[in-house]
Amino acid sequence: MTMERHAEIADRLEAYVLDQLPALERREVEEHLQACAACAKDVHELRAVLAGVAASVPPVAPPAALRERVLAAVSAEPQEPLRRERRVGIVQQPRRPLSGMMPLAAAAVLLLAIGVVALRLDQTRRDLAGEVGRVQTLNVELQEQLKRFSGQTDLALSILTAGDMREIPLGGRESAAGTAARAYWSPARGLLVVADRLPAPPPGRIYQVWIIEGGQPVSAGLLGDEPGNRGMLIVTPPRPGTGGDVTVAVTDEPPGGLPAPSGTIHLAGSI
Amino acid sequence: MAVDRTRYSHLHAASETSVRQADADLLRRLARGDRDAVAELYDRHAGRVLGLALRIVRDSSDAEDVVQEVFSQAWRTAPNYEASRGTVAGWLLMMARSRAIDRVRARQARRDAGVEPDPETIPSTAVPVPEQIIANQQAARVRGAMAGLPVEQRTALELAYFEGLTQSEIAERLQIPLGTVKTRIRAALAFLRRSVRS
Repeated sequence: MTMERHAEIADRLEAYVLDQLPALERREVEEHLQACAACAKDVHELRAVLAGVAASVPPVAPPAALRERVLAAVSAEPQEPLRRERRVGIVQQPRRPLSGMMPLAAAAVLLLAIGVVALRLDQTRRDLAGEVGRVQTLNVELQEQLKRFSGQTDLALSILTAGDMREIPLGGRESAAGTAARAYWSPARGLLVVADRLPAPPPGRIYQVWIIEGGQPVSAGLLGDEPGNRGMLIVTPPRPGTGGDVTVAVTDEPPGGLPAPSGTIHLAGSI
Repeated sequence: MAVDRTRYSHLHAASETSVRQADADLLRRLARGDRDAVAELYDRHAGRVLGLALRIVRDSSDAEDVVQEVFSQAWRTAPNYEASRGTVAGWLLMMARSRAIDRVRARQARRDAGVEPDPETIPSTAVPVPEQIIANQQAARVRGAMAGLPVEQRTALELAYFEGLTQSEIAERLQIPLGTVKTRIRAALAFLRRSVRS
């Protein structure tokens, strides 16, 4: 509400209480009264003054017949139901929310605010609970991964330091022609394959590692895709090695791998 | 017609507060659908309602119609009456003024259309009720203050309140500028307001 607006309305309050305003202006005043406690108070006092003006007129004793007429009329008339809205027939008076409703409105706003804060806190609590859950899961995963890496590192070290370990250079073929790869094979402890600059396998295929002893290929597992096209596999022996001639080969196979090689050989080396 | 003094006698010594309290109790009974309460309300206020109606419409038949309409309306709307809006007497008188002015305007419209002769003076059947029945001290203060108003202010206020004229109608009637009408009415109401407060 601007001060100009207030002044403009305040200027018309006398005309308002005297019912001298056209309907549109009357509504403007009534709207203003909902929001302006000062004007609402003025109107209340002006009405009290006018009630006094009305009551200042000397009373006139009504004829007895009028009493009977009034009571007869009332006996035939139903009452209107209790409503919450503006009264019909009473010269309209503004509701004064600022004086009467203020504590209620303030309480409602406060309750709403508390409710909003409580909701937010609850949401935050649930968010945090969810976050804690996710962190815990991630932590478990990391622990397992760490354990796995740690175990693999241990395994890799044990393979590399094994007395029966033999190093097998793996030659690249086809698309992997430029790949530098090596296998470290210990019949007692396991196999370590490291491939550098290994191209991605053909679409819909994965790399599978084979250990071939005595002409019998046995799957050693899948060559993990590592960032930087580095493939690595560290496994315990798929079956106890004989210590004899061995070939390590990498083929592309369908996802999940197969019991026996079927695809193209990309890397292979024998010793 | 003889004035039934006993009917109003209970108001003689009543304080303003107890009168208002009794009115509020009456309205609650009315709101609950107690038709007997209408008779009591009538006995307490019909004199003032009729006095005001007569002051405005200046015709006893029309004024009595207004009284009947006011008490019918009071009965009808009692369930939705709010005590915080003012006194019961103020409520009844506001309804009376509004209805009476409507009648005056309707009559004026018929007269303008040439179907009704000009009004007579107040009929002689009107019998003033003794002053002492007015227990409303505020009304007494306002009445006293009205007498103290400069005549041009009182005239402007009376034309607005009792004749229901708009500001421009008053300006025309009194042959004064519109701004002067506003100023006079505002001054009159401010004066009465101060007198009611003190």
